[in-house]
Formats: sequence, C-alpha cells, structure tokens
Amino acid sequence: MTTIKRTGSSDLVWLILKFTVAILIALIAVFPIWWMINVVFAHPGEPVSLNPRLWPTSLSAGVSKIQAIFAETGYLRAYGISIAYSVLTIAGVLTVASLAAFEFSLFDFPGRRLLFGVVLLALMVPTAVTIIPTYLITSRLGWINTMQGLVVPGVASAFGLFMLVQFMRAIPKDMIEAARLDGASHLQIYWFVALPLCRNALVTLAILTFIQAWGNYMWPLIISTQTDMYTVGQVVGLFNSPLSHNTVDTVMTANLLAAIPPLLFFLIFQRKIVEGVAMSGTKG
Amino acid sequence: MSFIDISSVAKTYGPVNVLENVSLSIERGEFVVFVGPSGCGKSTLLRMVSGLETITAGTISIDGEVVNNVEPAARGVSMVFQSYALYPHMTTFENVSFGLRMAHKPKVFIEESVKRVAEILRLGSLVDRRPSQLSGGQKQRVAIGRAIVREPRVFLFDEPLSNLDAELRVQMRAELTDLHRRLGTTMIYVTHDQVEAMTLADKMVVMNGGRIQQAGTPLQLYDDPDNQFVAGFVGSPKMNFLPAQIASVGPSEIRVTGVAGTGQGVLPLGGVVRQPGPVTLGIRPENMRVLPSGENSSGLVVEGLVKLVEELGSESFVHVELKDGTRIIVRAGRRASEAQAVVRVESIAKSALLFDIDGQRVRGAGKSL
Repeated sequence: MTTIKRTGSSDLVWLILKFTVAILIALIAVFPIWWMINVVFAHPGEPVSLNPRLWPTSLSAGVSKIQAIFAETGYLRAYGISIAYSVLTIAGVLTVASLAAFEFSLFDFPGRRLLFGVVLLALMVPTAVTIIPTYLITSRLGWINTMQGLVVPGVASAFGLFMLVQFMRAIPKDMIEAARLDGASHLQIYWFVALPLCRNALVTLAILTFIQAWGNYMWPLIISTQTDMYTVGQVVGLFNSPLSHNTVDTVMTANLLAAIPPLLFFLIFQRKIVEGVAMSGTKG
Repeated sequence: MSFIDISSVAKTYGPVNVLENVSLSIERGEFVVFVGPSGCGKSTLLRMVSGLETITAGTISIDGEVVNNVEPAARGVSMVFQSYALYPHMTTFENVSFGLRMAHKPKVFIEESVKRVAEILRLGSLVDRRPSQLSGGQKQRVAIGRAIVREPRVFLFDEPLSNLDAELRVQMRAELTDLHRRLGTTMIYVTHDQVEAMTLADKMVVMNGGRIQQAGTPLQLYDDPDNQFVAGFVGSPKMNFLPAQIASVGPSEIRVTGVAGTGQGVLPLGGVVRQPGPVTLGIRPENMRVLPSGENSSGLVVEGLVKLVEELGSESFVHVELKDGTRIIVRAGRRASEAQAVVRVESIAKSALLFDIDGQRVRGAGKSL
C-alpha cells in the first residue's frame, strides 16, 4: 500500500511538472503570434505605449489596417502568386515523387541502385550550393519572373521521393502482381493500387511541401525580380525593410496576413504534420 | 497434345539453377498439385505458368499456344496468392470486379458477374466490406472470387491456405474441391503440405531440388514411389527407412541381412539383377507392428527401445530407436507400448520397398512392390 501511495504522489508531481513545462513552452511559442494580433487589433501606438495592453482593443482598427494594406499595396496579388506557387509546387512534387517512387520501390531496372544513390546524395547537398546553377539554367530557359521559373526547379524533391519510396516499399509485391494478372497496365497499377495505398504519405508530403513553399524566401527573391511576381514573403520583406517608412502596426498586419494560411493549415492538419515530421526524422 | 504442356523448362537466377529440365503435361479440367519442400522450385514453376516469372529455357504452352512471351493478363490465367493480395482500399465488390473494370467491361456485365461469383462463394453480405473487416476465410473467398470472375482457362493457387488455422484449412479444402467439381476448370495448386496435396489432387507432382521427382495420382505416389525422396515425402507419418545389405538374389526373392544392424528377412521380389551390397528398405508405419512379448515371428523382425508413444485416441504412433540408432515409427492400436520398453517390431516383408544407395527404387521384373 505504501509503495502504491508513494508511486501515486510521485506520478502527480511528475504530471504537474510536465504540464508546467508544456504550458511555459506553449506560452513562449504563442506569445509572438498573440502580440502580433494584439498590435494589429488595437489603435495605433496603444500596445507599445507606456501602459501597454496584452489584449486587442479595437476590431475595427485591425480591419481597417487590413483593408488599407490590400487596397494600397500589391499584397493581394502576392497572395495569389504565393497560393499558385504553393499549389503548383505541391502538385508537381506529388506527381514527380510518386511516379519516381513507384518505379524505385516496386520495380527492378538496370541502374536502380545507382540512381537511388544519386537521389540520396542530392538530399545531402544544401540548397544554397545548388541555387546558382539552378538560377543559371532557369535564366537560360527565359523563366525569370515567370510562374514556371518559381515552380519547376522545386518540383523534383529528393526528400519527397525518399519519403514515398519508404512508403511504397511496404506495398506487398503480390498486390502489384495480382493487378498485373487482372490486366492493369503499368500506369493503372500506379493510379488504382499504389497511389491510394500511400494516401497518408501523400497528404503528409503535401502539407510539408506547402509549409516549405509558402515560407520559401530565397528562391522567389532570386527568380522574381519584378514586383508583379512577388510572393507574400517578398512583400512582407518590403514592409520590414528599414526604408519602408511603415509604422509597426502596419508591418505587423502584413506579417499576420502572411502567417494566416500556414496557421490555418497547421490547425487543420496538426496531427498529419506531427506524423510527417516524426516520419521525416525516422525515415527521411 | 495436353491442355498445358511444360516442356524442358529451366529457370536460373544468375549462377543459381532454380528449375532444371522440367517437363509436365496437364489435361483440361485436371486438379494438379505441385508439392515439395521449401525452395524446391514449385512456386517458381507456377509463376512461370502465370507469366509473372520469365522462362530461361524451354516452353510453356496453354491450349496449343506457346505463352513464353505472352503477358500475364493475356494468358487467361488467374492466381490466388498466399497473402490473398486483396486491395485494402477497395470493398469486396471493387476487389472482385477490378479485373473486369480494367478490361472496360460494361457496368451491367460487371454487376451481374460479381453477383454470380458472390452467390457461388457466399459473399453476398460482404460485398460492401473492406478486407480489414473480413476474417481470414472470407478474405480467401474474396481472393478466389477475384480469380473466378474473369472466367480464366487456368486457376493458379500459390499456397492459398497457409495463413489459415487448421480447422478453416480443412473447410476451405473441401470448398476448393467442390469449386473444382462445379467449375470444371483446370487448376494448378502449390503447397508444401503433402496432406493438402493428397486430398486435393487429381495429379500430384512431387518436386525437389528444382526437378520433378514423380508425377501421378496421390495413391500411385503413395504406393509406388520412384525414389526414396518421394517415398519419404508422401505419407504421414513418413515412411521408415532401414539400412540393409543384400545377401543373395534369387529368381523370386531377395535375402537381406543387417537390417538396422542385426535384422534379416526375405523379400518376395523377383527378377532383380543385382550384386549383393548396401540398400535401404522402406516400410510404411502401418506395415509394421509391435510384436507382443512371447510371440515368435520368422519374418523381418528388428528390436529397439521405445522413445515416445503418441496416443491419438483411435491409434498410437510408437517411436522406436533401433540398435543401430535408426528411428522408426510404428502405427499401432491404443496403448500398444510404453516409453522406455524394449520391443520387437515385425514388418510385412511383401510391402517393403527397396532403394538403391543413391535413393532410386529397385523394382522387380514382375509386379512392383
């Protein structure tokens, strides 16, 4: 009985400790976002006054700031560019990675191991190393300031391929052979058997690709030199630049608008994202 | 010409020979079972018939047409896999109809075909369920349904009952026999379980080391094996093998001595041309009996120590270690003996088979033993 009591009380202490740490970490993580909302939805200067408030005071002030940004800057267009960039990148990555993974994981062909080794090597090379040759190729193709220039270089994702290969390797070979005997063509096996079986992996890869594409700053900065091809990240960069002459609350509004899509995405697909990150740790 | 003709077929993976010079004829409507130990090449041969495996040498023809270079789907064969290979994201209906949908058959035709198969296999209430919602036996029936619905010329089964428990296996065996009788389609079935092979087969093909050891009806193989491997593989408990020496060969009999050390006897085997020398005697457990103490016998008698008695209710298997260390099993009645007892075992000499030291059967000129 004594042992049980002691175990019970130490469990309780451990529980309290865990929750305290978790809440503290959550507060540290959430505070910047909350502060951003607080600054946007308040009268100018109020949150940073001598008597700062930690909660929003004026919904209408926030709304008018958002309206002003959309009306007076190219923010809405940048939003459109970013959404198109993200969606097309997702579609491209999923298509290319799943087709390549299908071949690498389920079929044998000459040079398969060597080619897959090259893919693994590509995983280890930092983006900064390849960015100049990639730019030169894109430039020679005449794709500067174009959507294809933004999207196409990011479509062949070594990480995506590697992740899907791990998934597709788990598909029993019998299933592929059964489909062959059932008269399914190569592409039909891909479409009707392999793709549905790795749906979870595809969803995870789509989410991770969205987060990566939406937050990508370096590549759009290089490839989109004209303002009408700016992504949200670049526009926010303009707001934040030292010579922009914008007030803190306007900058915060621009930042908040940029953060909303990934935040929504995170809230909706929270579980999948955690699974995906865990998976990329163990399998990627 | 046979319906399926496998002619001098070989399969190699690099330097490894998996199948060597395999030839076999299968008649239309026959239920043929390939049986043998793991790695004997039986599944490879089945997969070569299906087209999932390429043929290194030789030809396979179905209904007169050589199919070596014909795509699996175009061969008119269906296969049931050991793992069932059902598509987990599809319902029973979608699984069964997959082949028909790939062939772009009309919707009405697909629905009617699936309905007909569902009736044959009693799948009616399961059509909307996914594989994860089915039991092992139900999954197996869906896999068979997927094979049936395409109305193939040949059904191929690759150890389809291995994943089922013993009771369900017996039930499914009966269902397969019934299905074969109703459909009358040629079936080729692969198993390592000789009991399964004996109960299902019209023709049983025993394989070992990439070669066909013998093909024939199950009772032919049981009664008249060509070699020691087939004799030992077919039958449960397996045939007993006793080392012996041919002492003399007469016109109608052979005298053997040194049977498992000290035993001797006369085998009524005529017309054998052989020099005296070492051989192996093969005697089935049911052709041996434990001699009651005090009873004398002039026949082939060996003595040994009972190591184990397996009581099965109606009968028992007595495991005996003979003086030279050879272990034999005797099929006996209830409580025939007790462990650690010294017993004498008598064999029916006329049912003993004789094998050469290289394992080949030594047959007489007259009626084989």
